[in-house]
Amino acid sequence: MTNVIGIGLLVSYLCILVAIGVYGARVSLKTREDYFLAGRGLGSIAVFMALFASNITAFTIIGHAGFSYEVGYGAYGYVIGWSIFITPFTYYLVGYRSWLLGKKYGFATQPQVFGGIFNSKLIALIFLVLLLYYTLPYLVVSIIGGSLAFTTVTEGMVPYWGSALVLIGISLIYTLPAGLRGTVWTDVFQGTLFLVVAAFLLSAVARALGGFSVITADIMHSNPAMFQRSLSEELAPINWFSYSFVNSIAVVVFPQIYTRILAARSSANLKQVSLYYPLALAVIFGVSTLLGVWGSVAVPGLAGKEADNIVPLLIHQFLTPTWMVLGLVVVLAIVKSSIDSQLLSVAHLVTDDLLPRFKRLNSQQAVLWGRLLLVVFAAVAYYIALIRPAAILAIAGFAFSGFSIMLPVMIGALYWSRATAQGACAALILPTITLHLWYLGILPEWTTFGFMPVFPSFVLAVITLVVVSYLTPPPAPDQKEKTFGLFKEVFK
Amino acid sequence: MNFKLRLGLVIMIVLIMFLLHNSFWLWGLDARAPLLFGFMPFAYSYYIGYTILAVLAMRLIIGLAWPDPPPGLFENTGADKRSEY
Repeated sequence: MTNVIGIGLLVSYLCILVAIGVYGARVSLKTREDYFLAGRGLGSIAVFMALFASNITAFTIIGHAGFSYEVGYGAYGYVIGWSIFITPFTYYLVGYRSWLLGKKYGFATQPQVFGGIFNSKLIALIFLVLLLYYTLPYLVVSIIGGSLAFTTVTEGMVPYWGSALVLIGISLIYTLPAGLRGTVWTDVFQGTLFLVVAAFLLSAVARALGGFSVITADIMHSNPAMFQRSLSEELAPINWFSYSFVNSIAVVVFPQIYTRILAARSSANLKQVSLYYPLALAVIFGVSTLLGVWGSVAVPGLAGKEADNIVPLLIHQFLTPTWMVLGLVVVLAIVKSSIDSQLLSVAHLVTDDLLPRFKRLNSQQAVLWGRLLLVVFAAVAYYIALIRPAAILAIAGFAFSGFSIMLPVMIGALYWSRATAQGACAALILPTITLHLWYLGILPEWTTFGFMPVFPSFVLAVITLVVVSYLTPPPAPDQKEKTFGLFKEVFK
Repeated sequence: MNFKLRLGLVIMIVLIMFLLHNSFWLWGLDARAPLLFGFMPFAYSYYIGYTILAVLAMRLIIGLAWPDPPPGLFENTGADKRSEY
């Protein structure tokens, strides 16, 4: 850390973030749509980087590398394989139709889109509650993971509480004044930075370990099980199949992702994002997988949670101080880009979907409330990250599954004109209850038939939506026309 | 080709991609051919190939079933319309 170039890089990085915040605040209009949706004017690169940076969390470079350390090359396909295709596909499946509705009717969040389709304030409220319920613990876990990594990389020089403060503080510097525009501009900068630096980091570790072929041969010799998926209990086919329903299809349901799709300027922007998104996911997780697997040879003997430290350990063991600072910057960039987007999206949801139930807000008041709520949520998340209550961590453990089981209702609402508000309501609530019963151990394990709880809950959501919709009166024709009439004009 | 048929083709592409991801019958190659071209671990390089296929699949889907909105569709629209919905 005493390296002057390294410290210079770190200071430059922080200065750029502050400059983006200041400039973003100057060009932003003080309207609700501009603050929360960047005036629906994001181009292809901005949307791409915003989605990618929000999608990538501390898990990508820390948790996933730790998992790869334990199970080998199979971790790549298990964690991200299906996402490589299905995540960009859901940007088409759900994202494009939502974008059309948002553009036509001014919707800015999921409660507005799906409450609007079903003409139901109850649906909007259920969406709001579930999204906040899953996003807040996920935000806290992002802060905890990022702070632990930051503390490890700085060799404890910055304590855990200080790391959390730094992460949240820097996120607020540009998010508070510039809203979505600020987070997106930093995402473009940070997304590029961590793709480039991660690739350089990989090549530096590879050089230090003797090159790609030598490392692979070493692993082959010392631990051939790292090559064989069938030898890993965790990668058992039933887990592999179930995991397809966990993170990959959940991404489009994350409010921070969904809102960024609505903020795209045009259909062409979304097409380009969906087309090239697989490459970005494959590269960043590919790097993380290799670092984890290579680490099993370079730093053997880590067990359980210790394995999650493999990337910081590799950085320490094999890289010069300048590289260490660059590694630190990558960790900061990855963690912060998800924290800022999550903070902004929860503040947006409350400002746009909860407060108007009690008080009519004009555009300027909404921006003011949004900023106030950003600070409140940041303070609450910081406090929870310090005390780390078990209940919050437990909810975060199945937050991805919770998001995933909301997807059938979103798809049903956008594609099936017979879907009813009652059907959607039941299909949101019932699977959420069963998911909790399974995760809390109230329902016996055998009732999932060996699958992860997310799979039967997902199936239950589909069945409930269909059955209850058919048992209840169809939606009013004029209501259907507003959604499906619009789609008929586009999808001919 | 009408839109429903094109959407049917899209669903087929998704199912094929899902099958290729859950290709447990190929896992035997992890042991039989652990290194593709002598240096690439099979379980890893399979997903490099899968990524290229995913890009091609998305390209096909965009061509088949992702029309741009017709001109004028968003005239007289926006946040002020939210309350009318």
